[in-house]
Amino acid sequence: MMKWNLYSRGDKIFAIAVSVLIGMFTIATLYPFIYIAAVSFSSGFAAQAGKVVLTPIDATLDAYGYILKDPQFWISYRNTFIYTIGGTIMSMLFIIPGAYALSRPQLKGRRYFNLFIAFTMWFNAGLIPFFLNMRDLNMLDSMFGIILAFAVNAFNIILLRNFFEAIPQSFEEAARMDGANDFQVLWKVFVPLSKPAIATITLFCIVSRWNGFFWAMVLLQSEEKIPLQVFLRHTISNLSDDDEFSIALGAAGFSAETVTAAIIVCSIIPVLMVYPFIQKYFEKGILLGGVKE
Amino acid sequence: MSGVNLSGIVKAYGALQVVHGIDLTVEEKEFVVLVGPSGCGKSTTLRMIAGLEEITAGDLTIDGRRMNRVAPKDRDVAMVFQNYALYPHLNVAENMAFGLRIRKTPKDEIKTTIADVANVLGLTEYLDRRPADLSGGQRQRVAMGRAIVRHPKVFLFDEPLSNLDAKLRTQMRAEIKRLHNRLGVTSVYVTHDQVEAMTLADRIVVMNNGSIEQVGTPMELFNNPANTFVASFLGSPPMNQMKGTLTENGAKVGGVEFKVNGAVNGNAGRDVIVGIRPEHVTLKPSHETSALPIGLDLVEPLGSEALLHARHGDNSLVFKADTEGDIDHLSGVKEVHVPAHVVKLFDAETGRALNLEV
Amino acid sequence: MAEEFSTALQEPLKGTSSRSEEGRMTRLIDHFKREWQIYAMLLPTIIWFIVFLYKPMYGLQIAFKDYSIFRGVAGSPWIGLEHFNTLFSNDQFIRAVWNTIQISALNLLFGFPAPIILALMFNEVLHASFKRTSQTIVYLPHFISSVIISGIVITAFSPSAGIVNTVIGWLGFEPVYFLTQPEWFRPIFVGTGIWQEAGFGSIVFLAAIAGVNPSLYESAVVDGANRWQMMWKITVPSILPTILIMLIIRIGNIMEVSFELVILLYQPSTYETADVVNTWIYRQGLQSGQYDLAAAAGLFNALVAFVLVMTANTLSRRFSRTSLW
Repeated sequence: MMKWNLYSRGDKIFAIAVSVLIGMFTIATLYPFIYIAAVSFSSGFAAQAGKVVLTPIDATLDAYGYILKDPQFWISYRNTFIYTIGGTIMSMLFIIPGAYALSRPQLKGRRYFNLFIAFTMWFNAGLIPFFLNMRDLNMLDSMFGIILAFAVNAFNIILLRNFFEAIPQSFEEAARMDGANDFQVLWKVFVPLSKPAIATITLFCIVSRWNGFFWAMVLLQSEEKIPLQVFLRHTISNLSDDDEFSIALGAAGFSAETVTAAIIVCSIIPVLMVYPFIQKYFEKGILLGGVKE
Repeated sequence: MSGVNLSGIVKAYGALQVVHGIDLTVEEKEFVVLVGPSGCGKSTTLRMIAGLEEITAGDLTIDGRRMNRVAPKDRDVAMVFQNYALYPHLNVAENMAFGLRIRKTPKDEIKTTIADVANVLGLTEYLDRRPADLSGGQRQRVAMGRAIVRHPKVFLFDEPLSNLDAKLRTQMRAEIKRLHNRLGVTSVYVTHDQVEAMTLADRIVVMNNGSIEQVGTPMELFNNPANTFVASFLGSPPMNQMKGTLTENGAKVGGVEFKVNGAVNGNAGRDVIVGIRPEHVTLKPSHETSALPIGLDLVEPLGSEALLHARHGDNSLVFKADTEGDIDHLSGVKEVHVPAHVVKLFDAETGRALNLEV
Repeated sequence: MAEEFSTALQEPLKGTSSRSEEGRMTRLIDHFKREWQIYAMLLPTIIWFIVFLYKPMYGLQIAFKDYSIFRGVAGSPWIGLEHFNTLFSNDQFIRAVWNTIQISALNLLFGFPAPIILALMFNEVLHASFKRTSQTIVYLPHFISSVIISGIVITAFSPSAGIVNTVIGWLGFEPVYFLTQPEWFRPIFVGTGIWQEAGFGSIVFLAAIAGVNPSLYESAVVDGANRWQMMWKITVPSILPTILIMLIIRIGNIMEVSFELVILLYQPSTYETADVVNTWIYRQGLQSGQYDLAAAAGLFNALVAFVLVMTANTLSRRFSRTSLW
């Protein structure tokens, strides 16, 4: 703020104008969330009539009552936690040792292993062969299949490998002279030294698992296995397709719109709760992604 | 016998050979310093002793045991790294205990060892601090502590003082020397700083281009450099070197003849390089000296001494003279006097010393 | 000394070469004995890549086969390029290719500059906590799932209940059926993309701006430049390499429209403008079971993408001397 006093008048006007524009963009980003929250707390009639703008109209918790009573909501919520936690742990079990090995200069054929991994970023077989492969592996409608089949991706491995490569060699050498083997070097030295990178990758894994939708929709059939996103999608499309249903709902004090909004709020809340903790990492993390060979 | 013996040690990366067959014996309890310009192979040699680089050819023995293919952890050596390699996520005590824990040393034994070593190094009150909260000198001490706690047979130092500022470096240098006197552990120390080498070493090994140029005590090397490289590498400012020719009694540079003591290995008329240390000249003549007329360019006072920058013919020369509290009397210097016993002669082609035996 | 030097150079070399011939095998065994742990660490990852990413590549051969579930990948008969002939005479597939390119082009035109402009503007905001807060907010949508995004869009653009039509109503116009009209799909899709990603995308450019040497600005201040001039004369030229690299990445990914969101937002009445290659593959393959034809479309898509990405990497290597990977 010291600079402000040194600004010319033109510069001050420019800075103010920019701040106003930034403020407008920020509000535009935030508004849809506020709007959805307001809809979720409004009565079905008010929402259907398009009266909700900023605050709940005829405030009611009926939409939440409807959702929270649905056992499928809780099942899918639980499943999403399983996929997120199990999937993230599974990812780490592959990525951390794999990236460490790929970062070691003494690994013979290192160049080729790196190419083998990186190639999948440039070329992949596509939806159909992947799906047929999953079927051949007997991993359709399998929770473990979902956890395993999306555990690794080349980008995360390369990101962590780059981070490991940037750790000064002397850390490893000192540990080795102290008698540490590779597992000890990795676990006691590299992992603690790479906390920011590992936090970033963990974050990427958590977010993609929490948000994962397409393959869960394609691969899972049983209702007791579907994650929240698929349940959310079913509810949204059922509600908006089924006119009679929505009229019936309207009489009950909630509507398709308020129920949809309520589910959205329920599934965003965990993201909002962890967001402040992860924010300090992802700005650094996104820059670690400056991938190089 | 915890000596280190290198015989015919070679390091090559593919076709590129960087260390060309080194022979060296480090006696038990000896402090040997490997010194040389960057890229001379001194660090590579140290890392081969540590087991961090494979030995391409030759034999390394520590304590009489061949170590070429023994893993670093089984060589019973400890190393202090240039950047200290202190783990930022561990505190001082944990950093020092790291190696002991890996080796599954009993907990109370670790505790007493750490306490002892911390006491020796004056680190007791910092044991639960992280490296980031320590000063450069303290970090350096922790790095040494980590090496000491393991009671290794050999200490290896890889330029441990190069990250410190000049004042701290002098202080830590003395501390390393004291520590060595106290612990008496065989040490190999790598540095590019000739002052560090001179002050710390029992013996200095001067290396250049992957080979050893000379091995000897600091004073041997200072007084009798085996060749022009050692002559110019040790001493500050370096030895003055002038082209000349050999005569019956000494050597001639331009019209000036320098008398030399003792036998000279070579025939009169041969091209030589005449070396004179800056601090070895006097301003007053005596019966044993040769007079060297100079054109004085600049006088740099250093306090008790001053540096005289001067010319003789095409040669730029530097001499040291006492100031006696004043430099005015130095500005009129027209010649310096060179005692016969300080004149070193080197072969002009090979650079080898011709009157080494003096 | 010179003699010593040359003998020292030759003798040990002779020694090593003879040693390496006899000891090559023992050395290799030695190496694996000593370093087996890193190979053990790498193995699960390699196996994972083979099972989940390389094995499907083997399965891609059904693009050239008359695939039947019962005969399997290897057992189905070869039919050459028939599927590709079918594809390129299929109007819907051709339309999907064009839609992909057009949506990507719109994304490039509007979606690409947005984060750059945002980063340049953030750089001009002096009030630290205001800057921090609004950055926190604009990064947020990146972490929201496409299902939720689609839910928000569907709710907000709903003809009767949505806020957009409410506002249109205030202005005295008739409500617009946004999500069922083909001409509205692309503006909504591209706009949603900007809303979701512009903030997060600005991080890269903000980092590039943070890397500009501050003394450049200080000397410009002394020379009397104003903030606007500094932005154009210092900031923009300084982050040009980053802009270029990001642009090249974008061009390399032109075949990758985020089809998950398309699936969630399109409907049969908007296929005309919304259907992209991957959604077409999804419908033909996974919904209608024409695996071989859909795999052929996927192979076509992957090959085009591969060529684009490789070209992009070569270009970036030339422009920035650092490749992308």
